[in-house]
Amino acid sequence: MTRTAVRGARLLLTLVLGATAIGPAAAEGVAADLFSKFDRAMAGFDPIGKHVRRPIERAVPNLTFRGFYRNWSDVMLDDDGMVGFRNKDFRFAQLQNLFELETNYHVAAGLDIRGVAHMLYDGVYEWQDSRGLFADRIDREAELYNTSERVLRELYVSWRRPGFDLLVGKQQVAWGKMDGQFIDIVNAMDRREAFQLETEDYEWRRLPTWMANGTFHLGESTVQLLYIFDFEHDRQPLPGSPWYSPLIPPTTNDVIVGVRRPEAGDFDDHQYGIRVDRSAGALTYGFVYMYAWDKNPVDHVLGTTLNNGQTALRIEQRHERVHHAGVTADYAMTFQNVPLVGSLPAVFRFEALYTNGVRFADFRKRAQALAGRNTDGTTKRDTLRAAIAAEFALPGRTTVIFQPSWYQTIDHREELGFGFGGGFGDEWSLIPVVFFSRPFAFTRDRLSMEFTAFPLISGPDTGWGGLKTKLRLIYKFSQFVKGQLVYNGYDTGSSTDVYGQYNQWDNIGWELSYEF
Amino acid sequence: MNSETPVASTAGRLLAAAALVAVTSLAAAAERSWRGVDEMAPEDRALFDPAISTPRDASLDYVPAEPYPFEAPYTAEEMGYRSAEFVHISRWDYALVDVFGVVTSSGYINQGASVGYVETGGRPGFEGYMLDKKAGEIYSKWLLYDVFPPENEGAQQLWLPYRTDKSFRTKMDFFVYSPQLRRVRRQPEPRRDQRFPDNSQTFDDVIGRDPWEFEWQLLGTDVLYETLRFPTSRPSVTLNVPGQGFVERQGASIKPMGENFPHYRADGGVDCWVVKATAKSDWLPGYNEKYLVLWLEKHTFYPLRTEKYGTDGRLIMIEERNAELQNPARGEFGYAAMMTTYWNVDHDLIGYSNHDAHTLRDWTPEEIDMIFTPEFMRRQWLVEPLKSQVLIDAPEDFFLRPHLYPDKFPGERNPVLPAAVQARYDAQEAAGQLVFESPGAAAE
Repeated sequence: MTRTAVRGARLLLTLVLGATAIGPAAAEGVAADLFSKFDRAMAGFDPIGKHVRRPIERAVPNLTFRGFYRNWSDVMLDDDGMVGFRNKDFRFAQLQNLFELETNYHVAAGLDIRGVAHMLYDGVYEWQDSRGLFADRIDREAELYNTSERVLRELYVSWRRPGFDLLVGKQQVAWGKMDGQFIDIVNAMDRREAFQLETEDYEWRRLPTWMANGTFHLGESTVQLLYIFDFEHDRQPLPGSPWYSPLIPPTTNDVIVGVRRPEAGDFDDHQYGIRVDRSAGALTYGFVYMYAWDKNPVDHVLGTTLNNGQTALRIEQRHERVHHAGVTADYAMTFQNVPLVGSLPAVFRFEALYTNGVRFADFRKRAQALAGRNTDGTTKRDTLRAAIAAEFALPGRTTVIFQPSWYQTIDHREELGFGFGGGFGDEWSLIPVVFFSRPFAFTRDRLSMEFTAFPLISGPDTGWGGLKTKLRLIYKFSQFVKGQLVYNGYDTGSSTDVYGQYNQWDNIGWELSYEF
Repeated sequence: MNSETPVASTAGRLLAAAALVAVTSLAAAAERSWRGVDEMAPEDRALFDPAISTPRDASLDYVPAEPYPFEAPYTAEEMGYRSAEFVHISRWDYALVDVFGVVTSSGYINQGASVGYVETGGRPGFEGYMLDKKAGEIYSKWLLYDVFPPENEGAQQLWLPYRTDKSFRTKMDFFVYSPQLRRVRRQPEPRRDQRFPDNSQTFDDVIGRDPWEFEWQLLGTDVLYETLRFPTSRPSVTLNVPGQGFVERQGASIKPMGENFPHYRADGGVDCWVVKATAKSDWLPGYNEKYLVLWLEKHTFYPLRTEKYGTDGRLIMIEERNAELQNPARGEFGYAAMMTTYWNVDHDLIGYSNHDAHTLRDWTPEEIDMIFTPEFMRRQWLVEPLKSQVLIDAPEDFFLRPHLYPDKFPGERNPVLPAAVQARYDAQEAAGQLVFESPGAAAE
């Protein structure tokens, strides 16, 4: 029996005896004692690391092997019932278990192979009795990653020389430095959580793509070139999934004839990107350009047909070619003699992305199409999304970030639907994000708190669009095991607002992760 | 008949008493390891210049005019300047594995290990930093690649520290690469007097304090016989010694100034100057550390022990080091911290930092251009993998809390602990290993 196991048994025995034998006066001391025993028992808890990872790495010195298991569970706080078009008869928004393994094999100096595989199982469809959840019957991937495409997450060969990198294979590339996505446009994303998808989850939600990725390193400057011969589209919440919008009617009279996606085998469909970065002391800046596809298809009207005795639109969903051009910059400084806090280290970040040729569904034209006019029911516009963030390091290891984020559709019309980078159902949208975090010294910093508020204002028509808040408590059980409690709230917006539609989706979640 | 007047009688008694006190004091000083300035041996007095105000440098008006590294006799300020040579990250070119960690009073441990590359442009050492760099110039570049714990593997930090003075106070440019975010982000520099989260080290403990930010005073001399203390449950440690590979060393055999230090006393002790450094309020407004008390090895001025006291005068931290001559070409300036403990008294956090596999490097221009840039971190390239076996497996195997030495230099130090911490310290001294909030393995 290992020392850890002996301690665990002692701890359990102590808990049982302690519950029956102590009085209130001794409770504090006993609690501290139990806490200490628990901490010391957990300190060395790393079974996969000890019994799998280390022996493998010892046997194959050129191989590194690591991974994690993570459980996310979110339970909604509001009553069951009909919300919009949804039968919200479920409480769990996710019961997800993700297991990931990552290996790196060092072939020769500068030459490595990296592979990442993961498996996700979401118990929301099986572990609660719900008629409103049925997405697993539409696409099994909603419940379980059951295709090699999803399980084999990354696989690429990297060849590195001092002034040059070349990575070829399935990979993900993250551009940008901000919270949220502004110039992070290379890979598609699994957006099954809709507005609850956060920056810290991108690593596991981003959809890696087959590509060649080369970077030239020229002193303080770098030039990155991407040639993407594969295409992945965004995965939006499926009908019958927990975060499918309650504003979308379950049926439509229109006839969807299919989706036309870019083909890997068609040279004309490939995508290209370039990024240039430069660091100059307290200032770093960079530029990006990408000739890409919009990762979400837009309904194109092919014509009309009779459906159920009524005139209906024949629609094909197509992705649109777009040009992205962006800029990123950050600057650091320390303010001196600031009242109350003395010196105040700060960083300012800026990102903007201008997208040319975004296609929007145009409901005025669709009405005209129904009336027999020859139109595909779409309109092209340019969009701009940008954010500026100010981050401050306050006393008490407290961090505050203020990040106003702006989304604009150039030359907007009321009849336009959603489009990449534009305002949310309006000409412009503003989300002045406020973030606050700090650890608690009385827990020796093991407990930390993060609070984020996402107020949404759109104009000129919509006005207030609701408030999303997120409160997260993170606790480190050991070097390998971490737990979180998370509250997400969607408040004050009307039921047709971007956040307001999820007014009944307030939820508390917990996450337990073990990394080895 | 007694012809003595009462006054004469009283004066005689006082004289006798004073003589007795002096003799007793000298006898006591002979027995104890430490001596105040007035009690110092003649050979130490000869090395000490009590001057407080000395001429200033023509171009840097806050620096002594006497050329660094000064000549004996030394003022307290000059001792402080010499001690500034030995910062946590040495000012020369090298690679290392920085293994660090902390254990709480409950036995929770948090550790990390980073492979570090250090590049110091220009002349190495404090002289290069002080004289060759202008305020606002980056004087060194540090790239740290995390290899432990698993959650942090592949995370990287780039530290670009600045030469600072009263007008330019930004300490560094700071970039972080997060593998979870796959992003390089510029971060605000940490606050100088604030410990890192889940750690007992402050930013200044790592980056070093400039001697011109403090008033210096000599308290006396002392002899240290040990600094870091291994627990009975961990009698040895495996170190990665360049050229030798992994070498097991008995903890008790690791001496404060390394194996081949030529100035150990016959009884194994290390002679030290003990100096007090008080923060200048105009240089460090609102600084959390009111004063430091440092034990400096007498020949090299290497700081083997540092006590930090807060603005209210209470003890907040004790730092102790074991040094090693890591850069022999630099002679007495070539010592570097091999093992360091940081005991945060407020929270009873016992931290350590072990600089393993200290490997001197002569970075090529190509390597400098390649490695020490923010964008390099995105490549996730561990250019020179170095390994270490210094990580500690169990809470009770951490280093002991440092000695308190409650009787040394009374009036100048206030080494008082909170009652609960004092109780654990006493229990530790009895057990020979760390004692936590519950009885701990030693008592079970």
